[in-house]
Amino acid sequence: MSPTRRSLMTTALTLSAMHLFPRLSQAQARMLVFATFTGSWEEAHKAVLVPAFRKATGAEMVLDPMLSVDQIAKVKASLANPPIDVMLHDPGPALVAIDQGLVEPYPVAESKHYADLISEAQVATGPAPFFQVVGLTYNPEKVKTPPTSWADLWKPEFKGRVGITNLNSTLGTGFLVEIARMHGGSEANVDAGFQAIKDLKPNIAAVAANPGQLATLYQQGQVEIGPGNFNAIQILKARGVPVEFVTPKEGAIAFKTTIHIVKNSPNKELAFKLIEASISPEVQAALMESPYLIVPTNSKVKMGGEIAKVLASSVDELKKKFVFQDWVTINKQRAGWIDRFNREIA
Amino acid sequence: MMIGYELKLATPLAAFFVLFFVAPLLILLYVSLQADPGMTRMTAAQFGRFLLDPFSLGVLLRTLFLGVQVTLLCLLLGFPLAWCYLRGPAWLQPVLILVVLLPLLTSVVVRTFAWIVILGRQGIVNAALMSLGLIDTPLRLLYTEGGVVVALAQVQMPLMVLPLITALSRINRSLDDASAALGAGAWRGFWRVTVPLSLPGIIAGCMLTYAAAITAFITQSLVGGGQMLFMPMYIYQQATALQNWPFAAAISIIFLAAVLAVISVFKALGRLSQARANA
Repeated sequence: MSPTRRSLMTTALTLSAMHLFPRLSQAQARMLVFATFTGSWEEAHKAVLVPAFRKATGAEMVLDPMLSVDQIAKVKASLANPPIDVMLHDPGPALVAIDQGLVEPYPVAESKHYADLISEAQVATGPAPFFQVVGLTYNPEKVKTPPTSWADLWKPEFKGRVGITNLNSTLGTGFLVEIARMHGGSEANVDAGFQAIKDLKPNIAAVAANPGQLATLYQQGQVEIGPGNFNAIQILKARGVPVEFVTPKEGAIAFKTTIHIVKNSPNKELAFKLIEASISPEVQAALMESPYLIVPTNSKVKMGGEIAKVLASSVDELKKKFVFQDWVTINKQRAGWIDRFNREIA
Repeated sequence: MMIGYELKLATPLAAFFVLFFVAPLLILLYVSLQADPGMTRMTAAQFGRFLLDPFSLGVLLRTLFLGVQVTLLCLLLGFPLAWCYLRGPAWLQPVLILVVLLPLLTSVVVRTFAWIVILGRQGIVNAALMSLGLIDTPLRLLYTEGGVVVALAQVQMPLMVLPLITALSRINRSLDDASAALGAGAWRGFWRVTVPLSLPGIIAGCMLTYAAAITAFITQSLVGGGQMLFMPMYIYQQATALQNWPFAAAISIIFLAAVLAVISVFKALGRLSQARANA
């Protein structure tokens, strides 16, 4: 079911009315609000998740896409009466939201699908409805031999051609940890990673301010190789930009994106049902198809298409090829790392 | 009393300012005095952390200096432009005003992206230099301080040119003739008559350009990239990536104070030179 003009108008009017008359929404129990991510995530959720939710509950809901950090800021600003019922977070912001007491624990016992999730996706504070995967991205017109390892980025032939991001993003932070590991470090000790980035300097054509900017740099021919998000690359590919994604032999960096019921949400029951829909095999199977290509977390979904071809064709292969990092350890030191990146790399 | 009426007329605006400008500013100050992101205790430690750290002070100074470079470049390019607009042939005026106003009519993101296309590795500049055989490998123009200065100067140019046009158009043309009749050459007349009289426009243009250039988050981060750290990005990083609101608030207050200091230097310079011109 595609959104009609009327449903869009209703949504817009409801949203604006909610902002203008917060009391009104309080009294009348507002519709469920899900803060998904902007861009392709919003499109995917609008096309697949929202209709599934409607079918399951008969209730209407609103998508209010925004960045993780904005979701946290908005909920924090009015914790007693939050404007959002369901949040979606990368691992770093998820831990911040949990630490600050912004999320309800997920009612695992009542869930029909939780037990079917891949063990990494089973998180009691909010399960992971999909994984994001970071691997090597390159421009096949300029890079004739596809790279196979993170170490390839340091090859002299890529002088002035590599693009990375700074540590503001999950992508940049995950990359630092991964190359630290490659050089004998770990989440607890990334000194080797910083040294490796320093050594990479002659090859670096750009340090993008965020992953979105990094993706556009391939379009402009500014960079030709570097770490990249699988889903961001698929969008570029669909637009005809010459980019390819490969899983490095060390494994692809995988982030669990988790979905949470917001503390004090007036729509807890509906929020639970939306999350149930998001981890159900039906929704995940539909989201895995082109053009969305969202990596499923429910073990009942049979991997197929581009995901099976490029990433993993079974849960076993996924577990073997995906590297899940320890974000509890990462988050404790992230401020220090950003500071250090500012001083040593910038 | 006339004054009473004027004050009363300004109350709606004043109320608006108190509600949406002064109050948030006070909240910002309050947040900056908190010891930790949980906001449990009051302290001035955040300010100490910034002011005693050579790296942070470096970021502040680099940002303030960036503004100086952009302002000077804008003045250097903008003054002749304003001059041509007023003294050039009549048909040139609508063309020039369109050139000056066009950037204001497009979004700053679009203007900035245009610079990425121009300065990129396969951009216009590099492509031209390579096809002329002047260089073999593309020059690094994007993600350099020079690139940021040039892009900002173009993006903020209208803020410099419009006050200059206003100030220059107020100068009585017969003063040129008078100074010539009194024996001053064209240059001497320009420096001793035109420039002092256009000073209010120069000062206004400089202040607007300066304030806009150092706070231009979008242009700074898109053309500068993630490797170049200026104050707006520093604040953004602390506030959103790290959720450290007290430190971000403290940086913002320090930045605000530094900008106000620079602006008052501009004003003092203006007053000083005007006093000299009048003497």
